[in-house]
Amino acid sequence: MINNDYIIQVRGLVAKYGETTVLDDINLDIRRGETFVILGGSGCGKSTLLRNLVGLMRPAAGAILINGEDFTAMSEDQRTAVRKRMGMCFQGAALLNSMSLYDNVALPLREHTKLKESTIEIMTRIKLDLVGLAGYEDYQPSELSGGMKKRAGIARAMAMDPEMIFYDEPSAGLDPIVAAGVDMLIRKMQNTFNLTSVVVTHELASVELIADRACLLKEGRIVAVGAVAELKAHPHPFARQFFGRQPEDESARSEEFVRSLMQGEQAANRARPGGRGDTTGE
Amino acid sequence: MSSVVALFGRTGRISLNGLHTVCRVCLLVVSTIDWILVRPLRGQGLRVRSTILHLVEFGAHSFPVVGLVCFLVGAIMAMQASYQLSRFGAQQFIADLVSVAAMRELAPLMTAVLVTGRCGSAIAAEIGSMKVAEEIDALEVMGIHPIRFLVAPKFLAMLIAVPALTVLATFVMIAGGYLLATAVVGIDPGLYLERTASALQMKDFSTGLVKSVFFALVICWVGVYRGFQVEGGAEGVGRMTTSSVVTSIFWIVVVDMMFTVFFYFL
Repeated sequence: MINNDYIIQVRGLVAKYGETTVLDDINLDIRRGETFVILGGSGCGKSTLLRNLVGLMRPAAGAILINGEDFTAMSEDQRTAVRKRMGMCFQGAALLNSMSLYDNVALPLREHTKLKESTIEIMTRIKLDLVGLAGYEDYQPSELSGGMKKRAGIARAMAMDPEMIFYDEPSAGLDPIVAAGVDMLIRKMQNTFNLTSVVVTHELASVELIADRACLLKEGRIVAVGAVAELKAHPHPFARQFFGRQPEDESARSEEFVRSLMQGEQAANRARPGGRGDTTGE
Repeated sequence: MSSVVALFGRTGRISLNGLHTVCRVCLLVVSTIDWILVRPLRGQGLRVRSTILHLVEFGAHSFPVVGLVCFLVGAIMAMQASYQLSRFGAQQFIADLVSVAAMRELAPLMTAVLVTGRCGSAIAAEIGSMKVAEEIDALEVMGIHPIRFLVAPKFLAMLIAVPALTVLATFVMIAGGYLLATAVVGIDPGLYLERTASALQMKDFSTGLVKSVFFALVICWVGVYRGFQVEGGAEGVGRMTTSSVVTSIFWIVVVDMMFTVFFYFL
């Protein structure tokens, strides 16, 4: 079971919100030092998968092995120890608004290490310089632009020199130029520190630039895993639709809608008030 | 038949929800105590700087409004007492009434209600908006426990600030009564002070102080609990902030009632 090539192994992961199953029997192996991209449409469960990987959610079933040890079965203290080797960059950056940019990046060092303040200052400045935010130390998070916040989030995630870093929609809400800048930064981090990166995104342009391998999720299940070129040539209809940027087939939907109406009429012998196709589909 | 089933279903759901809330509050209480009393002994220190900053905010910055309100309440009480007692020619008992009521009941209660409005709501809003902005999640991923980072400093600060404010509020309230009774009603200042001193006992003081400690617990835990309950966006923050004030004042009055009954028979 333990394999040194794989840093994160997901086995039979099931995640639920209440009664709704969001992720169903997910199996993944993420290699040490690669950039792995989780792709999928909106609401397919990719953010939920990421939240499970970093331990913000406990799965309903299955295991997540990090360096061969089951992350989901650990005590709180053991999880904290593993988390010190993880960094996460949130969709909205999630910088603490009550602190300056400098204090945000220095926070993990202050909380987890016994380093002197002068050492912390040097390390923090290096991290800020790395993401191109040198000189903005005293800014409050509210004074930063969207792209700068993302960069600051990356700097904070990098503060403890983690083994693995997770990005939740790094280019969401950014203009193409700034988004490309963030993609380049992800690539740069990867090359400089030999990090394992897990990126959740639905931006096809980013995938080409940053991904070593990727997986495609649909309705809580993995449709395909492999290198980006393999995924693009994958025969699964959803993979072809996703990479071909084709819209949902409207005619199929309307057929389904009519069918559901007729079934409803037969079953209850009355028309469903305000019934829509997508309430019975999916 | 179906209405009976619905009734049972409803009762069951309400009790389950109630039980769920009790469990969650207990979890919060246990976790807070763990991070304040147990963990620091094992070398996971408290955030002293943050505690002091919160103490200044909850205590020193609350004093002007608490002081002013309590001064006025003291004066009002003296006025009302004079109105009633003058019919019996027993105006010197204004001192007894004002001082005992202030120390045992009104100063702790007014302080707690004002601190709830000022700080309890701020706690709920702060934690709520942090939750909405994923800041709580960010703390957890960084391996920083939100209870240790956010709740423990507020809790300690509240536990010191509310009793301290209550003691000050008691003095200010008695001073308000004194000023009105001597200046408006015309009671001899010496007599008033003498009566105040003879009316008050150590037991009155400890009653007020014990109450204020429990009020501090209520304010902090309700604020924190409501803050963590926030779902959705800015609207959720607003709703839970309002709710924190209402819930907190409700429980303060309930706790006050319980202690008043308890100390009455003691």
